[in-house]
Amino acid sequence: MAQNENPLYEQQPTAAATVLTVEKDGDTVARAQNDGHAVTKRLHKELMFLMTSPDKSISAFPDGENLFKWIGTISGPQDSVYESLKFKLSFHFPNSYPYTAPVVKFITPCFHPNIDTSGNICLDILKDKWSALYDVRTILLSIQALLGEPNVDSPLNALAAMKWTKKEEYKKLVMSTYNQA
Amino acid sequence: MTNSEQIGLNKTWELSLYELHRTPQEVITDNTEIAVSPRSLHSELMCPICLDMLKKTMTTKECLHRFCSECIITALRSGNKECPTCRKKLVSKRSLRADPNFDLLISKIYPSRDEYEAHQEKVLAKLNKVHSREAFVQSINEGIKLQSQNRAPRGRKPNETVTSEQPGEPQPAPENNTTNQTPTTTPLNNTIPSSPAPSGRSTPCDPPSPVSSSVSSIKRRPKSVLTSEKSEESDSTAQTEQTDTDGEGPSEPHTLNEIELVFKPHPTEMSGDNPLVKALKENSIRYIKTTANATVDHLHKYLAMRLTLDLDSQLSASHSLLNFCIYISPSAGQYVQLNGNQTLGQVNDKYWKENKPLEMYYSWKKT
Ligand SMILES: [Zn+2]
Ligand SMILES: [Zn+2]
Repeated sequence: MAQNENPLYEQQPTAAATVLTVEKDGDTVARAQNDGHAVTKRLHKELMFLMTSPDKSISAFPDGENLFKWIGTISGPQDSVYESLKFKLSFHFPNSYPYTAPVVKFITPCFHPNIDTSGNICLDILKDKWSALYDVRTILLSIQALLGEPNVDSPLNALAAMKWTKKEEYKKLVMSTYNQA
Repeated sequence: MTNSEQIGLNKTWELSLYELHRTPQEVITDNTEIAVSPRSLHSELMCPICLDMLKKTMTTKECLHRFCSECIITALRSGNKECPTCRKKLVSKRSLRADPNFDLLISKIYPSRDEYEAHQEKVLAKLNKVHSREAFVQSINEGIKLQSQNRAPRGRKPNETVTSEQPGEPQPAPENNTTNQTPTTTPLNNTIPSSPAPSGRSTPCDPPSPVSSSVSSIKRRPKSVLTSEKSEESDSTAQTEQTDTDGEGPSEPHTLNEIELVFKPHPTEMSGDNPLVKALKENSIRYIKTTANATVDHLHKYLAMRLTLDLDSQLSASHSLLNFCIYISPSAGQYVQLNGNQTLGQVNDKYWKENKPLEMYYSWKKT
């Protein structure tokens, strides 16, 4: 059938909010994961909020028709080596969003101690420190902050961690990585 | 006073210093009305997880943060055993208690909630069925429109809304007293009106951060659409009606007026070899209908978004969203660039005045 499967299609909305009656752990989680309707609703709300937000240094929008995949952009923080650079990121929302974090990756190559060459990001709020209260906006802001303040102690990119203190060299590497795009 | 106070005494609320020391609010017994801004009202009544109005409110016993029953239970089961708002440990469901007073309060303030929700369901169902960019963009436009309709005026005066009812309601439990307070004294779980960036920390390899630092890392979204606001459009009721333009003063007329716009490429800035004009071809003229109090910024965003959707790969998103300028031509050959926070109503009054669709121009540069 349709090759272009879209979560918007897959999850037909059930009757409004399902009343939570299941008590066993497993069941509830399963329900949460299948309630694509609630996820869609929340993503729509986030989108509207983002579109009317005045913050120009971040943006995000669904990637095509699939509401579960977004493209976000952040500008490098001011007064950092990333200043004036613009990075694209991909967001992949699980059906259990916002109870589980989206998968967020850099699309634009980024030389940074906590970002590997495939664009994976090492950031606690995207892993064990995730909270259902985080949203696309807070994620983007956190990543923006991370650019300016890397954690060099447990790097994904050892070279970047090593060079962090050597500003001139570091900046060159940032620029040459960026220009691969 | 009912026994809710006694209940309060028997529990350990672990109140913050502020909460312990603040002067109790006087109970209002006369007809005094207290104004609460729509925005602060939203954040109080909104569940931070689903971003909808609270439903079957559950309050955490220790930190007094509120969520929908369904949302918080799901959160606890699928994530860490901690309060999503402040990361305080929540051992089990027993760390929560139902908050029927709060539900009552919401139903008092928004009696038409069910209707609204039914409406929202319909819209969403339709959206899912139609499943096209057109519908998607349409829904977003509507969202923006609704938001700008309902946006509280910038001023600080808290008298935009009169929501205070002094009903013969059961006396709320201690932490519910906020109904009778002005927003500034509200010791609630909620929103810091313009929150700074959360400071996530790299990396998962770290030892877990101490609670205190995590607290600061969770900041809340500054504002969000309160669902009931939207109900004003579909099923206005006397009460919600008030929440939106009261108190804006005579300078901002009570308008939900619609404005029709024609959006054309700037004749000189956007000549035939401009890549955007080339790409858009006959689609370069846009007809838009929106509310008079939408701002030029809204339009700007809409336009950028709209064109990105149309052009897709022809124009990479990174620069398509930037570099738009919006102009109006008060007389032939003269183009005035408009600044972002002017509302379309103001633009219309200032430059156009004619009883035909407002004509505006846009330009776009690649760099
Ligand atoms: Zn909720
Ligand atoms: Zn809490």
